[in-house]
Amino acid sequence: MDTSLDPLPMHGRDLGVNADDWVEPPEPEQEAKQEILENKDVVVQHVNIQGLGRTKEDLLGYEISDVFHAKNLIDVMKKAHVARQRLLRLGIFNEVEVLIDTSEGADALPNGLDVTFEVTEIKRLTGSYNTMVGNNEGSMVLGLKLPNMFGRAEKLTFQFSYGTKETSYGLSFFKPQPGHFERNWDKDFSNRVLHLAVLPQFPLGMTNHTLKWEGVWRELGCLARSASFAVREESGHSLKSALSHTVSIDSRNSAIFPSRGALLRINQELAGYTGGDASFLKEDFELQLNRRLFWDSVLSASLWGGMLYPIGGQPSCIADRFYLGGPTSVRGFGMYSIGPQSEGDYLGGEAYWAGGLHLYTPLPFRPGKGGFGDLFRTHFFLNAGNLCNLNYGEGPRAHLQKLAECIRWSYGAGIVLRLGNIARLELNYCVPMGVQSGDRICDGVQFGAGIRFL
Amino acid sequence: MSLAADAFVSQMAAAEPWPENATLYQPLKEDQILLSDCASSLAVQAYLRMCDLPVQVVCKANAEYMSPSGKIPFIHVGNQVVSELGPIVQFTKAKGHSLSDGLDDVQRAEMKAYMELVNNMLLTAELYIQWCDDATAAEISRPRYSSPYSWPLSNILAYQKQWEVRRKMNAIGWGGKTLEQVYEDVSQCCQALSQRLGTQPYFFNKQPTELDALVFGHLFTILTTRLTSTELAERIKSYSNLLSFCRRIEQSYFESKSS
Repeated sequence: MDTSLDPLPMHGRDLGVNADDWVEPPEPEQEAKQEILENKDVVVQHVNIQGLGRTKEDLLGYEISDVFHAKNLIDVMKKAHVARQRLLRLGIFNEVEVLIDTSEGADALPNGLDVTFEVTEIKRLTGSYNTMVGNNEGSMVLGLKLPNMFGRAEKLTFQFSYGTKETSYGLSFFKPQPGHFERNWDKDFSNRVLHLAVLPQFPLGMTNHTLKWEGVWRELGCLARSASFAVREESGHSLKSALSHTVSIDSRNSAIFPSRGALLRINQELAGYTGGDASFLKEDFELQLNRRLFWDSVLSASLWGGMLYPIGGQPSCIADRFYLGGPTSVRGFGMYSIGPQSEGDYLGGEAYWAGGLHLYTPLPFRPGKGGFGDLFRTHFFLNAGNLCNLNYGEGPRAHLQKLAECIRWSYGAGIVLRLGNIARLELNYCVPMGVQSGDRICDGVQFGAGIRFL
Repeated sequence: MSLAADAFVSQMAAAEPWPENATLYQPLKEDQILLSDCASSLAVQAYLRMCDLPVQVVCKANAEYMSPSGKIPFIHVGNQVVSELGPIVQFTKAKGHSLSDGLDDVQRAEMKAYMELVNNMLLTAELYIQWCDDATAAEISRPRYSSPYSWPLSNILAYQKQWEVRRKMNAIGWGGKTLEQVYEDVSQCCQALSQRLGTQPYFFNKQPTELDALVFGHLFTILTTRLTSTELAERIKSYSNLLSFCRRIEQSYFESKSS
């Protein structure tokens, strides 16, 4: 049973040791020790946090309070581990170490334990340099962060982004609600597009809701002297003040290569009732279904759609309309090159739909299986979509008819590479069909990088 | 515009005759347009009427941003967009319409000199009075300039424009002038114009030229625009031949069309 807790030493002629010398009767303390380890009740008397500088203690109380409820040592260890994770996810500590010891001091119980979290606070100012890949654009981002500004995990971030399509800078302030880290208020300022967003997010059952108020100062201008007059007419400043609500249900097992599950996201935006120049109601939705088939291949179907309804008789602004086409939506067409256009410049449309059917398979012959090769997939796709302006005076039947005529579609195959858990790179061979006059196509090889793909 | 771009535009312009649907864009007449923009726009309209070229005037709140050079007015003719009087005169010349063909070289040089005078004196004085005089800026210019936009964008844009004009005034040395000095400069400019005009109907005797259009645009707008003080209009009214010159052009080219 418990001859000794230490391994028996080797005995041989060289050592001149007789095995019998080492066998002793088990000591009473060892038995007691083992009891605590297994099932004896313990009481957590004190939970301390050491190493706090500017962080306020009331914020941390919520994260560590659960440790007090542990009943035995294994439970204490588990709860302390969870508390450590929660402290780390606040983003204000570099490292958190847990020390569990028996209680000492005048009021110590025989089965009392003290749990101490030793934390190292993060520096007051940190900088970062990232490169970012968005929907077919790349950018370099320089950031400055002031974490834990006032001691309650507030975070102030300044970001400057220089990209192939857009240059912007932003200031954002983040303050979590104590005790409910997931519910947070986010105020975000960025320029040229000047953007202010107040963003509470909360889960409700299986769905995730986001309510957002957004104020955006937009300045539109012609990049080239030869820009079409229709685009020139939209130049100038405008202010958009909009309320938006997004509900999403995501049961996929991964964001990039899901093999099962579905995603439904519905977004509504109402602009104009809280001030500003732009006035419209915008709806759009995204649906994705995935199913695993034979031999590790996955069949994925997706559907996007949206509608913009200008309110108050003003025509819609070019910055609010939908765009379609490109390696991230209907493949085989140029970027945003489907739909109404004037002299080669695409003006976007007020209603659209797009659908895709994909078959993802691992690379043929599975090179690099279990490692690098798992980041790749081959895919065969069929994409279709349409973008147009609706005449809102007519009924829904006329709208459906308009969306159903002149459908653009394409098919092809290619290779997809996963970047982290956020982005994808694709190299496809596309065959566009149903091309209408004015669309710009990209038949043959098309490269795409981005976050959100059809 | 560079020489090469100039030549290119001329070639493109010469290819087509003046269309029926030529349009001139300016800010909203009732609520938004300011003195200097109104003067420039009227000058171009007068010039086109003198050339007998039909043009439709369209008012848009974002006309300033639509213009390729950022200045009012601009015309949209066929596929071309041209802004400001100087380039528009060249553009119409390329299409075969010109008012100054009958002038010899000396007269042409003189005409250019007087046009420069008007631009440097009258136009700058108008900008000064609008944006550098606090009373006018607060009562008239800022509210009018920002009227199409909603708060807080309206305030931001109005102040941005004011700072921009003030910076420009400082750069050309007008920043230190007082209002009195500006009125004096306007008087002197009007005196020079009045002397040149003398008793003739137009600056270059019988036929109007672009100089006449420019002078008319500025003087007529100053005379008919309500400012915080009537001092500027009074200074011009003291030159009677300029007054009758304005009336003559208004009657010849503007009233007959509207009746």
